Amino acid sequence: MGNLRTASELITFVKELEARSAEIYKGLAERYRQWNDLFLSFVKENEKHVAEVERAYFGVITDAIEGGFAFNLDPEQYKLGVEPLKCESLAESLNHVIEMERKIQSCYSDAAEQSKLLMADVPQVFALIAKRREKRIRKLELLPERRKGG
Amino acid sequence: MAVLEEPIKEVKVLKNFIGGEWIESKGQLVDVVNPATCKVIAKVPISTEEELNAAVEAAKEAFPIWRRTPPLARARYLFRLKELLEEHFEEISRIQTMEHGKTIDESRGETRRGIENVEVATGIPSLMMGYNLEDIATGIDEYVIRQPVGIFGIIGPFNFPFMIPLWSAPYAVATGNCVIIKPSSEVPISQQKLAELVDEAGFPPGVWNVVHGGRTVVSAMLDHPDIAGIAFVGSTPTAKDVIYKRCGETGKRVIAQGGAANFIVVMPDCSVQRTIASLMTSFFGNTGQRCLAGQTLIVVGEDDNFYKRFIERVVDAASQITIGYGLDESVQMGPLRDEEKKKRVIKYIEMAEEEGARILLDGRKSLRIKGDYPETCFLGPTIFEGVTPDMRVVQEEIFGPTMGVMRARDLDEAIEICNENPYQNAQCIFTSSGKSAREFRYRIRSGNVGINIGIAAPMAFFPFSGSGESFFGVLHTQGQEAIRFFTESKVVIERWF
Repeated sequence: MGNLRTASELITFVKELEARSAEIYKGLAERYRQWNDLFLSFVKENEKHVAEVERAYFGVITDAIEGGFAFNLDPEQYKLGVEPLKCESLAESLNHVIEMERKIQSCYSDAAEQSKLLMADVPQVFALIAKRREKRIRKLELLPERRKGG
Repeated sequence: MAVLEEPIKEVKVLKNFIGGEWIESKGQLVDVVNPATCKVIAKVPISTEEELNAAVEAAKEAFPIWRRTPPLARARYLFRLKELLEEHFEEISRIQTMEHGKTIDESRGETRRGIENVEVATGIPSLMMGYNLEDIATGIDEYVIRQPVGIFGIIGPFNFPFMIPLWSAPYAVATGNCVIIKPSSEVPISQQKLAELVDEAGFPPGVWNVVHGGRTVVSAMLDHPDIAGIAFVGSTPTAKDVIYKRCGETGKRVIAQGGAANFIVVMPDCSVQRTIASLMTSFFGNTGQRCLAGQTLIVVGEDDNFYKRFIERVVDAASQITIGYGLDESVQMGPLRDEEKKKRVIKYIEMAEEEGARILLDGRKSLRIKGDYPETCFLGPTIFEGVTPDMRVVQEEIFGPTMGVMRARDLDEAIEICNENPYQNAQCIFTSSGKSAREFRYRIRSGNVGINIGIAAPMAFFPFSGSGESFFGVLHTQGQEAIRFFTESKVVIERWF
């Protein structure tokens, strides 16, 4: 797969990232009932992200902005690694989930930086989601299972 | 990334939409071909004069009731249409890619811009208001009422099949007129879809009509005594010598938008990275087939190093453009609309060489198409330097993915070069200097001006301007100017005894 260069393929790519991570959180919510609410709130937030990205993209895209030339991202950099649901313990899963979140966050940050001033509202939404991702990472890092390592 | 699903599954014969009915034309059928795949995707009729006359009759019947419909009620039809357009946004966009060849990002941009005109026209109760002054003399008041004129013909071009008729039609019907749209016969499917949604929105029969066809329909529109005005977008020879001239002879209102040969001026103090992204969109977006596209790049300044490095980066960026079928999301540039248009652009490239320009990137030779598509309509981005203001590749509209490059000593010289060109549609400058930008804006002869914007496309609430050989008429499409074009100002002077 080549680099992501058009707005359309980038939007599709981030939607896939959101969908994939939502599936992972749904699985974790089922397995670790004590954090059911937290993981499902992430699922809901992912859906919100997709809606926000689509609203920004479909709302502002015009033939006057650089939709076809605003990005140059290597999707390999943001590929999600080990499947967190296959891990033995919650602590191990959390490590992978945090790694996944960092990749998603950097995808949004990089996309926001590249398209800044070119794609109007779209980079703003990307930057906003990247910030939310940072908060999510902090929440995950503070879970007692991760701190205890078990 | 996968190729998005095609919304057109079978070859349908398009019908005219006259008086709220879908009517089969008696005219000859012509193939509508997807320029990327070279497959036939529809058959469009070349309608007859009688069919245009039938549409005029339907519009005449609808007009007296429609003009009496309160503006707020007319606006509600447009609100419903806007909802339907949003629901069908993606389908409409993909249809445009299939019929025209543009990328999916470009098609979505076109759809959005079209819908924005419907949105603006929903504000008709405010937009159509007149004005008044009490006591122009003691006890006498004077006011202006805006009234609809009648029936308008709207003639669309091939390069923005969905959007351009919407620069006019929503304002025309919102102000109480009836319209007959003749889409380009090369790209008629998105207008057919739009008419289906108009039908679904419940517009009264005869308010919005579509008659497919070619010159016969255009001539009949121009000559018909019951058509009050024409909104046309197309080439300059047709806009000037056919539409504008004939409307003058027959006493019709007219908006006739023609071609362009736009300049982009780059100052040495520009933000290079962002300027290059904008240049790619401006010169190669929509495969160069738009009247706001950059055609000639003027790099200002005597710094040879800046020029050399800048042009190297431009050539590098252009050479990396992914070319292919626009429904592939990774594609940045689609084919030209048809083979004839490709041949025409190639002639201009040959002309540039003959006139002494040096080819830096040759889209004829370096063409790499992503996917298994015939080369028929594809042409790669082409850049040639050393062009001069008198060359035909600067003076005439090329309408393809080419960039001619020239240098200017300073901003004064760049402005002079731009102002000597007969076309005055869109000129843009890239700079970080407010002084240079202000000077450019102030002195440049151009209907639309971009400052760090490569495509100076006015939003729906501003007029789509243009002057010189790019525009013939007085009022422009879109926004308040469209409201004025589609209404008669009636002045009332009132005194009560």
